[in-house]
Amino acid sequence: MSQSVAELLRYRYLFEQMVRRELRAKYKGSLLGVLWYLANPLVLMGAYTIMFTVVLRSPFHVHDYALFVLVGIVVWMFFQQSLMGAATSLLDQGALVRKVVFPRETIPAATVTVQLVTFAVMLVLVAAVVVPIHGSLSVVLLVLPLLVALLFCFALGLGLLVSVLHAYFRDVEPILGAVLLPWFFLSPIFFPIDNFPGAASHPWARDVLHWANPVAPFITAIRAVVFDGRAPALEDVGYMIAIAVLALAIGQALFRRMQAELAVVV
Amino acid sequence: MTGGGPATLDGAQVPHQVRRGEIVLEHASRSFSVRADPGRTLKEVIFRRQASHAGPAPVPALDDVTLRVAPGDTLGIVGRNGAGKSSTLRVLAGIIPLDSGAVACGGQVVSLLEVGAGFGRDFSGRENIYLNGALHGLNREQIDARLPAIVDFSELGEFIEAPVKTYSSGMFVRLGFAIAAHLDADILLIDEVLAVGDEAFQRKCLAHIERRIEAGTTLVLVSHDPSLVSRTCQRVVVLEAGRVAHDGPSAEALSFYHRLMGTPEPEPVAP
Repeated sequence: MSQSVAELLRYRYLFEQMVRRELRAKYKGSLLGVLWYLANPLVLMGAYTIMFTVVLRSPFHVHDYALFVLVGIVVWMFFQQSLMGAATSLLDQGALVRKVVFPRETIPAATVTVQLVTFAVMLVLVAAVVVPIHGSLSVVLLVLPLLVALLFCFALGLGLLVSVLHAYFRDVEPILGAVLLPWFFLSPIFFPIDNFPGAASHPWARDVLHWANPVAPFITAIRAVVFDGRAPALEDVGYMIAIAVLALAIGQALFRRMQAELAVVV
Repeated sequence: MTGGGPATLDGAQVPHQVRRGEIVLEHASRSFSVRADPGRTLKEVIFRRQASHAGPAPVPALDDVTLRVAPGDTLGIVGRNGAGKSSTLRVLAGIIPLDSGAVACGGQVVSLLEVGAGFGRDFSGRENIYLNGALHGLNREQIDARLPAIVDFSELGEFIEAPVKTYSSGMFVRLGFAIAAHLDADILLIDEVLAVGDEAFQRKCLAHIERRIEAGTTLVLVSHDPSLVSRTCQRVVVLEAGRVAHDGPSAEALSFYHRLMGTPEPEPVAP
């Protein structure tokens, strides 16, 4: 184990190169490029705001509902794009995998890190809008980097998992795409996790939505900090730490087990 | 690639500690599935329907190959298409694992298996030098230090700032070899790529390889060009269907190869 960590450390400059390269290809070196990526969550925010405040007459009683949705969407998009990007990453870099020896984890890790950079920029922009409008400026904003770091570890663990699985089984990415859509709707993105119309009469549904979905605590905690200006619930943070460690351990272990044949299968 | 210690593969027993620059292959076997659709699906695994398209049996690429190369040796590998030459190099490079047997390479292994493997086509020659150096485990300072020598060796001049997609195949191989030449290899694995450069550049590469060999680097060269092999290598292994058909001094092994291929033996090349 310590030998593999030393290997990874030796190749950290490769990791940096890959992240820079992908960022440059994606944004053509301009901040404006990142702003483009904000268009997508803004459009979604508009659509859901119309859906839930006009069509369905706001069943959630959330003030500044559009901003509430926006925070959740930005968190979800990081999660979704990390997994979808990681899933195909080893195949995208097939030429390298087939011809050169280096720690293969570098590839999905770089993909998820590129998404993290995008996410961080978006989160700062979103916070810069949400905090003054919703009046949620608070010292708890300081724990935001910690929450983001935990989410990154969780996404990285799952990213390692789906990347190596998709290299062997080519239906993983489409299956993932099919799973992510209902997952999105069941995540507390456009409803508050503890306070939706059916929550009082169906407490079990509230518990399932909160605890059976590992993304829910991340969305709830980050939204607590950015939108509500209050500290995240301790049980959420505990859950996040546990699930991040678990995802990383499983992802890393499976990747190590399956990586030997990568040059043959990609 | 490992820094310093022997390169081993998961589960394979290392025959013994290898010295820097030494190569050991022991009873190495590896076969490949030749099914048309290599990618199984998760659905098939879950529903256990693999038997429905059992294709032809796996083809052995290496079949019980045992090979020892001492530090500073120059080994040529020749054989027909599909005899297992490239697979042997990829096994030595640590890219593909063995089904059985053991492989160990001592020290820094540098492989040049394909012209510009890992080049980003939209990136400049200079940027690709950094990426390739990083792929071999170098950090920024180490590459900074080698950059002038690499650019100089590649003879690319101002084209080093142009995206490599604008390069000719000759420029491509010059850059690729220039990078590989400056990675401090203990073992250098080269697959056919030299054939692309023009004669002057080939000579320069060979001169460089000779200097490295004098400094103790081990060379393994796969080529279809017998004259290149006889100029570069003291020892030649002839592979046939994944097995070692002949292993000996180059002149003797190459004449075996010519008999095997049914081609007339060329006049011996003056040293």
